[in-house]
Amino acid sequence: MKKFLAMLLALTMLLGCVAFAESSGDSAGDSAGDSAGDSAGASTGAPAINPDDIPDTVTSADGKYEIAFVTDVGQLKDKSFNQGTWNGVKSYAAANGLTYKYYQPANGNEATDDDRYDAMKAAAEGGAKVVVAAGFMQGNALSKAAAEFPTVNFVFIDGWPLSDAEGNLLTNVAAISFQEEQAGYLAGYAVVRDGFTKLGFSGGGGGTNAACDRYGYGFAQGANAAAAELGIQVELNYSWQYGASFSASAELQTMIAGWYQTGTEIVFACGGSMFQSIAAAAAAADAYVVGVDVDQSYESETVVTSALKGIAEAAQLSIASNYDGTWAENYGGKLTVLGAVQNAVGLPTDTWSMEVFTVEEYNALLAAMQSGELVVDATDYQGDAITTVEFSNLKIIYE
Amino acid sequence: MDDILAILSSSSMSFLIRQTLLFAVPLMIVALAGVFSERSGVINLALEGIMIFGAFVGVLFVYYNESIPFLQEAYTGLKTLSAIKVDARDAAFTSQLTEYLLSTQGFSLVAMLVTALCCAAFSMLLAFAAIHLRADQTIVGTALNLLAPALVLFFVRLLANQNTLNIAGESSSWFMLKESYFGFGVKLTRTTKTASMGFFGQAFVNQVYPMTYVCILLFVVMSIFLYKTRFGLRLRACGENPQAADSLGINVYRMRYAGVGISGALAGIGGFLYATTTMSCSSNGDVAGFGFLALAVMIFGNWKPGSIVWASLLFGLMKCISATYTRLDFNTDGIYELAELGISKYIYKILPYVITLLVLAFTSKRSRAPKAEGIPYDKSVR
Repeated sequence: MKKFLAMLLALTMLLGCVAFAESSGDSAGDSAGDSAGDSAGASTGAPAINPDDIPDTVTSADGKYEIAFVTDVGQLKDKSFNQGTWNGVKSYAAANGLTYKYYQPANGNEATDDDRYDAMKAAAEGGAKVVVAAGFMQGNALSKAAAEFPTVNFVFIDGWPLSDAEGNLLTNVAAISFQEEQAGYLAGYAVVRDGFTKLGFSGGGGGTNAACDRYGYGFAQGANAAAAELGIQVELNYSWQYGASFSASAELQTMIAGWYQTGTEIVFACGGSMFQSIAAAAAAADAYVVGVDVDQSYESETVVTSALKGIAEAAQLSIASNYDGTWAENYGGKLTVLGAVQNAVGLPTDTWSMEVFTVEEYNALLAAMQSGELVVDATDYQGDAITTVEFSNLKIIYE
Repeated sequence: MDDILAILSSSSMSFLIRQTLLFAVPLMIVALAGVFSERSGVINLALEGIMIFGAFVGVLFVYYNESIPFLQEAYTGLKTLSAIKVDARDAAFTSQLTEYLLSTQGFSLVAMLVTALCCAAFSMLLAFAAIHLRADQTIVGTALNLLAPALVLFFVRLLANQNTLNIAGESSSWFMLKESYFGFGVKLTRTTKTASMGFFGQAFVNQVYPMTYVCILLFVVMSIFLYKTRFGLRLRACGENPQAADSLGINVYRMRYAGVGISGALAGIGGFLYATTTMSCSSNGDVAGFGFLALAVMIFGNWKPGSIVWASLLFGLMKCISATYTRLDFNTDGIYELAELGISKYIYKILPYVITLLVLAFTSKRSRAPKAEGIPYDKSVR
């Protein structure tokens, strides 16, 4: 009797596994639904295929995967930074019939340099010709991996040129960084011009992620500029709490609920899956959110606009240069800074829900940025350093 | 006196009550789950694991069924209705609203029921090993705690290709009641609203999940069930002196299976409630240690439902204060009192856990576990 029961139990579990595995195939596709794919206005001649329709995993006949992606902290499908970069990688690979694969460093949000290096090594040994590594935290691991695999090209998104242990520049690493402060500025300016006066900024990385720091400072500058034009005073709650791992949490949701409860009207959700918690708090309070990195208006009706950076395009362009022979000339060992001039930052004017601020006004602002008439300060204010900045029409409430 | 009344009825207070319930009720129901198992004589260390499994099953159920047309209609319908101006609301509005609310709330009830059944089945792993195979209950519980997150992550990765299974950006508000349904706080423009509900409405009606109240009701009913019915008496007897119970013709094995099964169902519901109300309906193989906290709550609640209520409310309140202390303004003078104290935010964050430890340290002397818990029942031993 006992044996029979044990057998039965084992059988049920096995059947359960099979049932799940079968149902997973089709659901993976529609789960992502119609999420954000298209970024800033950059035209790269990319095929007009929705990146979500491209499968995340392909099977290669010889077990080799030519284009690899190593994720940053947070999840692949974070509907933001990782997913945006991955969409670029997938789109290029699919359009050119190349095999591709993503690697998530072990230990999730606590991944060490070794974990990241292991992921890159696995990618290189798995036949990758180009490895795209997202996030500034990949630096140490990348310099080790790039020195070890000189024939593989690495793209370092949100990064800087790297050298090997002897101090020689690694020409197989292309560094790409963005002027997040410009994207943040545009978003901050737009929401204040559109009538919001009590703002919030909830950032990821615990105040040490340069990209998030610049987004936040830019957001404050833009809000301040718009407030000065309108002759009003605005408030900005500024926090890095519960965002260190960029993930959603009950605490974050409660904290943001507290913000909305006490009058905050719109919060800039600056970091991957944190969006989930912030949007949930916003939906409960009938309040609003500003998305980040990619157009997140598809995720929630609470999103008024999103501060975009063209990560998908940057990934595609740099991968393409590996194949058209322009790598050494344009990318290898160099830092490519993408901003308004390259049309790599901006707001999604088609999907935003601005009521007062017009597309013409936005275009004028962007043009001023492109011509150099409007310069956004890009200082990296880490942690609470933002409180040392004097704003004429903006009060920072730091927590 | 007036000052105290003003503080007690401030909007910060109603906010605090609302948020405290979000944390306290899952804890409460899971601690009660522990009581059912332990009172029947089986230590249930697997509460955390069962919660994780429950959160997964519940979210999975919502994930698969959210696209059913009548639900989609209800979700979008509620959004439209809540925006209608107050003076334009008529009888048709009321009937529509009722219909939509019944759809969404009914759906959440079904999800809870499914979760309860699945988790009762899951807890049978513990029951089978602990009762039938007479395994060490602590070890089986630990094994389930290890198994559940791994299993859940495995399926989540399989289904969603990531570490979290989530529905949509604002899915959790589908199950939520809002004051705008009742004609308060209706949006005029994006940043202005009509007058909001008073203190009571803010604390107990606006932005609350009826699921929370269902769980409170369940807590009361199950507590009465444990203390005031013949079945409850028998169950408790099996945890105190199973030999005596057996000599009176009670099937100890069956009672213990029942105890663990009820425990599994309640813990699973608690997990789903936690995932829905505080994690915007997502499952990632983690409930932030709430299952273990529930164990602690159960112990300093002395295996009694009444004390469990206070223990979980205390923890929930502390948890809520630690996340929102910078936004609490009790005397409505525009100054956030707790933030002005200048105490480090880390102190607030460790406060709930420190208090749990302290209370546990001071009360554990008085606490009395069911006598026979942890000892596998063997008919042949007297």
